Amino acid sequence: MDSPAIVIRDLTRRFGKFTAVDNVTLNVAAGQFFGFLGPNGAGKSTTIKMLTGLLAPTSGYIELLGLDFATHALEIKRQIGVVPEGLALFGRLTASEYLRFVGRMYGLDRDTTNRRTGELLDFMNLADEPKKLVTDFSHGMQKKLALAAAVIHGPRILFLDEPFEGVDAIAAGTLKAMLQRMTERGATIFLTSHVLEIVERLCSHVAIIHQGRLVANGSIDALRAGVAASLTGPQPDEKLTLEEIFLRIVSGSGSGTAEEAVQELSWLA
Amino acid sequence: MAGVESAPPRPPVRWGFLSPLARGQYLALAWVQTRMFINSLRTRRGSVEFGAHILTFLVFGAIAIGPAFGLGFGAWVAVSHGRVLGISVLLWVLFLAWQFFAALAPALAGQNPELSHLLRYPVSFGSWLLLFLVYGLAAPSTLIGLLWAAAIGIGITVARPDLFLATVLTLVVFVLFNLLLSRMILAWIERWLAQRRTREIVTAIFLFLALGAQALNPAFHQSRQSRFYGIQPQKVMHLSQRFWNIQRVFPPGLATDSIMQATMQHHGLQGAEELGWLGFYTLGAGGLLALRLRSESRGENLSEAPRPSSRSRTREKLGSRALLDFSGPIAAVFEKDLRYLLRSGPMLYNLAAPLVMVVVFGGAMRGSSMSGIRLQYALPFGMVWAFLGLTRLICNNLGMEGDGIQFFFLSPTPLRTVVLGKNLLHLVLFLLEAAVISALVIFRFGVPAPSVAAATLAWLLFAVPANFAVGNLLSINMPYRVNMARIRRETGAVGNGLTSMLTQLGILVVGALVIAPCAFLGHPWLAVPILLLLAAISLFVYLRILGNVDRMVLSRMESLTLEIMKTT
Repeated sequence: MDSPAIVIRDLTRRFGKFTAVDNVTLNVAAGQFFGFLGPNGAGKSTTIKMLTGLLAPTSGYIELLGLDFATHALEIKRQIGVVPEGLALFGRLTASEYLRFVGRMYGLDRDTTNRRTGELLDFMNLADEPKKLVTDFSHGMQKKLALAAAVIHGPRILFLDEPFEGVDAIAAGTLKAMLQRMTERGATIFLTSHVLEIVERLCSHVAIIHQGRLVANGSIDALRAGVAASLTGPQPDEKLTLEEIFLRIVSGSGSGTAEEAVQELSWLA
Repeated sequence: MAGVESAPPRPPVRWGFLSPLARGQYLALAWVQTRMFINSLRTRRGSVEFGAHILTFLVFGAIAIGPAFGLGFGAWVAVSHGRVLGISVLLWVLFLAWQFFAALAPALAGQNPELSHLLRYPVSFGSWLLLFLVYGLAAPSTLIGLLWAAAIGIGITVARPDLFLATVLTLVVFVLFNLLLSRMILAWIERWLAQRRTREIVTAIFLFLALGAQALNPAFHQSRQSRFYGIQPQKVMHLSQRFWNIQRVFPPGLATDSIMQATMQHHGLQGAEELGWLGFYTLGAGGLLALRLRSESRGENLSEAPRPSSRSRTREKLGSRALLDFSGPIAAVFEKDLRYLLRSGPMLYNLAAPLVMVVVFGGAMRGSSMSGIRLQYALPFGMVWAFLGLTRLICNNLGMEGDGIQFFFLSPTPLRTVVLGKNLLHLVLFLLEAAVISALVIFRFGVPAPSVAAATLAWLLFAVPANFAVGNLLSINMPYRVNMARIRRETGAVGNGLTSMLTQLGILVVGALVIAPCAFLGHPWLAVPILLLLAAISLFVYLRILGNVDRMVLSRMESLTLEIMKTT
């Protein structure tokens, strides 16, 4: 791998006195399937927003594909695709109208846009209801459409915020295959998800952010080895899952276990 | 869960709009509204919005107070002189003004409140209906109607204090009827406009009525003129009597009769039959409103309904044809916004409403004793109405994007290109609206003098960039989310609406300050070069603002996203 696709240095974002992202430094190599993990409110979405230009950092440096985001925002946006938290869909268009619109906004010519629109709708199984408006789509269908829109221009980096949430198992399998093929062809994928099994299966490298700070970063094997080395007493027979790694790293902050919390809610049926 | 107690059985709940649960919900809603109001004052935007509310209230109050005195005085005169027909006329004026403005002027119609967010809670239908009415009470049309009804009541009571009880009873029912009817009409129009087929039918009826009224106007005025020369007085009396008899079966007539019975019988509680019929009308309006809201309370989605899946099996590669067959971000934005408009009945309704206003006021101007000089300026006045239809679009051009607003921040297209695409669409819409209004004005008042036409054109060259310049600034600095499926004033729209109206007024005043003195001094053509100079300045300002759009949006991206993506 040559130069990193994503370079983040001392990235900080404050909202008043609250620091959502605190001095995060991170490199993601080109062609990597990268998982960005963290509990709710850890700063994942804020970081993605800053990386995609939806939010200005308070301080720090972002470089994507060798270009400084502060000075080359539009050129970078031309080469990245994003499925943001809110999906950013236009509800009163049909799926094909929306994809054609997005293609034109990315500067694709008419023929390319139309061809890719048809291919993506077929691929995502969205072509059966050509007159249905996006607002009437199920959440899973909207997610697939958002993903189609994020890749229509052939991005070199793809940012995905919870891409598999609400997507059925068959579609999720197809999407995973598509994303893996993209990384094989050199695209970089930056993924956040709470479904750690999926992250473990897809990603080669992960970073964990907690309370705005980066608390772990590296290949899954390296993190596993690190956590295993920190364990006192007998080593487990089976290798640690990503979920166990994640919980061990994050629960170092002192929050109680889930079972303890449920015991408190005795009024629940 | 081991060791966890089982939850105790829940006591049965009484439903209904006055049940303890409902009362608790009202209190909770009142509390949350209060908190939201107090919290909104923490932001500059919230304070501006509050100030705009107060200013709007004062402006509407000032507008309504004159007619209120007139109606009160008229009621006093009518009752004092025993001319009860006068009361009927006053109540008809109140009824027509209330319903007309509620249906045709969105700013006056106020909110058909969006209460779908309450559906996730156990809110009974009765409570939902009550909340709908209470939330809608603050509409300017309702407040003006209440003020005018109170004025009529005071006029009658001052003339005949013994009629106090009958008057109050009748007017309360009459006001309730008007309130329910206006809400019912808006609710049903929204429903009809939500689907393409009914939208087309409503549009056809709308145009038919507008053109019909336009065609009938000359005939009406001819017959009015000939009344003094050809028609015998007995015939006029006969026609008046017939009209009087017919109108008595309608709510304003029934209300008049209810009060009149009390006048003749010298008792406060006469006219119960008429009051009963009026109550019957009120129940009818309320019933139709409840019928509509019942569907909404069950979660009906007012957006374009999807076709049944069995009919949509026919697989098409691409759902619809391109409206503009050329590529490029400007065309893409133009086409997307055009599709949005064509799919939004309420937005089309807003665009068409000023045309009806031109027809109606055009008829009134023609019928009045206005001089030919003043009628000459019907064309520039018509152009002002054309702007009014587009004000919401021009001054909040990002408001209908909803969640899609984020896409513009993610895409490599500069925001100024997006805004330019929107401005171009609005320009085309304005030109269409201006062309229709010009045709109507010329048809009604004849071709204006060349100097007036040229001054109007020069004023437009000034007004269009000025409108777009201010509109772009307001769209970035005071945006609000627009629900394309509803005819309603949105949360946060008052500040933007007031500022845009003041802008329209300012642009009109500039034009008037140039055209009127030139015409008065006998050099009407002099206005043209002055207005062209102003046009050049406003175009320069527009281009400067357009060039700075990206910088302005970048500095306000977070609040802009919050305002436009928020759901309640």
